Amino acid sequence: MNCWMFPGQPLRHNQPFPETADGAEIINLCRNATGFDPSTWQDDGGLNGEHVRLQIYGTAFSLCRTRLLRSSGQEPDMVLEHSMGIYAALAACDCISEREALEMTARVGVVLARMSEDKRYALGCIIGLGCPAVETAAANHGVYVANFNTSSHFLLSGERSRIMAAVEECAAAGAFSLSVFECDAPLHTPLIVEVATELESIFSDYDYAGPRVPLLDHIGQQPLTSSRIPAFLLDELLSPVWWQQSYRAAGKLGASTFVEVGAGDALKKFNRWIDSESR
Amino acid sequence: MSDELIPKVKQMIIDSLRIEGMSPSEIETDAPLFGEGLGLDSIDALQLVVAMEKEFGVVVPDAATGSKVFASVRSMADYIAENKQ
Repeated sequence: MNCWMFPGQPLRHNQPFPETADGAEIINLCRNATGFDPSTWQDDGGLNGEHVRLQIYGTAFSLCRTRLLRSSGQEPDMVLEHSMGIYAALAACDCISEREALEMTARVGVVLARMSEDKRYALGCIIGLGCPAVETAAANHGVYVANFNTSSHFLLSGERSRIMAAVEECAAAGAFSLSVFECDAPLHTPLIVEVATELESIFSDYDYAGPRVPLLDHIGQQPLTSSRIPAFLLDELLSPVWWQQSYRAAGKLGASTFVEVGAGDALKKFNRWIDSESR
Repeated sequence: MSDELIPKVKQMIIDSLRIEGMSPSEIETDAPLFGEGLGLDSIDALQLVVAMEKEFGVVVPDAATGSKVFASVRSMADYIAENKQ
């Protein structure tokens, strides 16, 4: 079985859009739906910062890759999503349109960006340290584990000064690699409740069809249904991403080929690590 | 000694990182592995740490050491030759 995986927001925009008719159509759709052109990196001024642009770029890139795969005759038997990859995943599963996926990404991004007006948030990437030590560091400094990607790859999320302290503790505990990234909002943490009402309102503006193939959520690894989608879209921003569990759940359901449908190859690398521990 | 290890190191990189469609001879011995070279990142680095320990019994204790060790295939081979027991 063929599983398509939709990654979350890329950290940079270093992959150009394919110069194809589909690439041009997605760019055009993106301009019309969000006011942002991911090929020139220009917007009409309605977006609030670089992270929102990266989020839209991520969705647009995934939509473009989806079209390219389909034009080469490929189709998924199952779909996995990671973080904000959900919006392109919903479009790939025909739950919403491509335009709606782009628009939703932009609207959510603008709301999240407002959180950074009062506080500075960051993400801390911890590699090569076990889960208990990472969870302890997070608890000690009042931040959250936002991504459980593998047994040795985690993302912390929270206020910037607290993230720095937690990352220092992880370094002292023997983490192999650490990095900190600025972000607009403490994604995948309960702190998102501050903008939950606005987000809920966005998600209630759309009609959702049932996924045409099983689309596993990254919280409980259950197939999403049309009625569950709006609540999940909010929950997923308040809850961590459980990637290792999601990948293993897809394997148990019969997925044997995994295709990363987006910019970069982080998910493939997570899977490689998970596989290496399974042998 | 370390020159003899170079083909083995290249094969280890291909196997542990599951690099498809590339043979050991296509990896340049002195080219940077990270950034513009093979384009590896910190996730790859940890995978290489585990592979080196498994295959050669050599430990890379931290990222600071790793950044020197994983500078190129040659530096990896040199480190293995120096630290192999």
